[in-house]
Amino acid sequence: MIKYLKIQNFTAFDTLDINFSNGVNLFIGENGTGKTHILKVIYTACDITKSKKSFAEKINDVFYPSDKQIGRLVKRVQKSTSGSVEIGRELPDGKTSSIKLALTSHTLTPNKAKLSGATKLWLENPVESVFIPVKDMMANAPGFRSLYATRNIHFEEVYADIIDRAFLPALKGPIDHQRGKLLKILQDAMEGKVVTKGEEFFLRNKQGNLEFTLLAEGFRKLGLLWLLIQNGTLLSGSALFWDEPETNLNPRLMEKVVGILMELHRLGVQVFVTTHDYVLLKEFDLATKKEDKISYHSLYRKKGTGEILHSSSGELAGLDPNAIDATFGSIIDRQITKEMGGLGR
Amino acid sequence: MIIETDGYRIDFTDAIDAFKFDETDKAKPTYHGATALKAVDIIAELPEAYLFIEIKEYDKPEDFDDEFKADKTRYGNFKWLKRYLKYKFRDSYLYRYAEEKVNKPVHYLCLLNFDNALNSSMRENLYRELPVGQVSLRWVRPFAQSCQVLNLAEWNRIFTKWPAQKVATA
Repeated sequence: MIKYLKIQNFTAFDTLDINFSNGVNLFIGENGTGKTHILKVIYTACDITKSKKSFAEKINDVFYPSDKQIGRLVKRVQKSTSGSVEIGRELPDGKTSSIKLALTSHTLTPNKAKLSGATKLWLENPVESVFIPVKDMMANAPGFRSLYATRNIHFEEVYADIIDRAFLPALKGPIDHQRGKLLKILQDAMEGKVVTKGEEFFLRNKQGNLEFTLLAEGFRKLGLLWLLIQNGTLLSGSALFWDEPETNLNPRLMEKVVGILMELHRLGVQVFVTTHDYVLLKEFDLATKKEDKISYHSLYRKKGTGEILHSSSGELAGLDPNAIDATFGSIIDRQITKEMGGLGR
Repeated sequence: MIIETDGYRIDFTDAIDAFKFDETDKAKPTYHGATALKAVDIIAELPEAYLFIEIKEYDKPEDFDDEFKADKTRYGNFKWLKRYLKYKFRDSYLYRYAEEKVNKPVHYLCLLNFDNALNSSMRENLYRELPVGQVSLRWVRPFAQSCQVLNLAEWNRIFTKWPAQKVATA
């Protein structure tokens, strides 16, 4: 389980020291407050335990700075500066491990960045991880993997990775009861199962096979989740990173999606989600039981300096500031001004 | 003009008058007395308008409301609260009509303990169902000029002339 992330002068951040829940971690904040960056850094640290890529190389591929100059990931200030990211983790045997990547704004290539910490122990304990990006890739899968492998195309590696994860064949043996239950919920919601033919995904139901390009994007998301559960990528001890699940998702489906994410957490999957959506956030609040582990993290800019700060809470009601609620507050304010003029002010 | 009721204290600094509208004390001149009619908690009179104010710290209605208990299928929590707030306003308006005290625009303010999003949703529903505004061509005036639903933090941020606070109840 990922326990913490410490950042110094990296991308949008000056300093950040944030602890995570073993269960569900929800990130809110206005655009440009680094929510996705946090997910990408942790995902990278998890991915290298399986892909065995170097941390610096993977982080460069996941963030894709211009000309792949890794030094550009250091927070831009007028003078030359250095930056770092450190991730701490609890291993299955209860031991802790951390790795730290340090680089400067002049570091041109990943091999010049410095990795320290218990790297051997980190890599010896693999953790399955999935990063679901905002943009759907399922419909664009045919040919994409080979194109990505052979050509220098300008896509962050999370897009290639998610297709790879979706294409993994099913685990041997029968699907256990809990996963079977989740698959059934998804099948009912999207009215079918996902099948692959070559590099193409289809939704199969009584009417036949419907190609993903003709499928509503919200259903493609459910289909992707179905594949990741069905092929055993999301099992106990794995980590799921989902950037804005609400995109193109009918609000009515959010209860189901959140229900599944909470069940995955109860199965032992550590979940990291970013959102701008009130309904999604509220569904998590409503779906949380006493024994669940959930943390709400708010990222916001300090007035005056613009520095990104964070606050965390175990309850949605305790989250302050809450950019989503503040937006509704602003609507109420303007509505009152429109209808009551200056009364009471 | 400070009014204390339902665990809240509100100071209407610019009001001509303000009183506990659902007063149950027969000795007071503001005793409500019409048991057939529901009543909002406070009415405040400003130079240019009346405020009808309902304060509700929402609890599960099945714990205290026989109507809710009897027919859970028809009334979900949201619907129950919406009906509750709607009829409080309408009955209070009728009472004030009989008093000939509806000669200024009436604004309905609901102070609830929800977040801003839920309050916005409640407001949209109440707006349609009260209804707010001149909804018929045959009407010559609306009976609700506006309705607003807000929590304590938002109330104090917006209505700086009517500061509100929670007070300990016995």
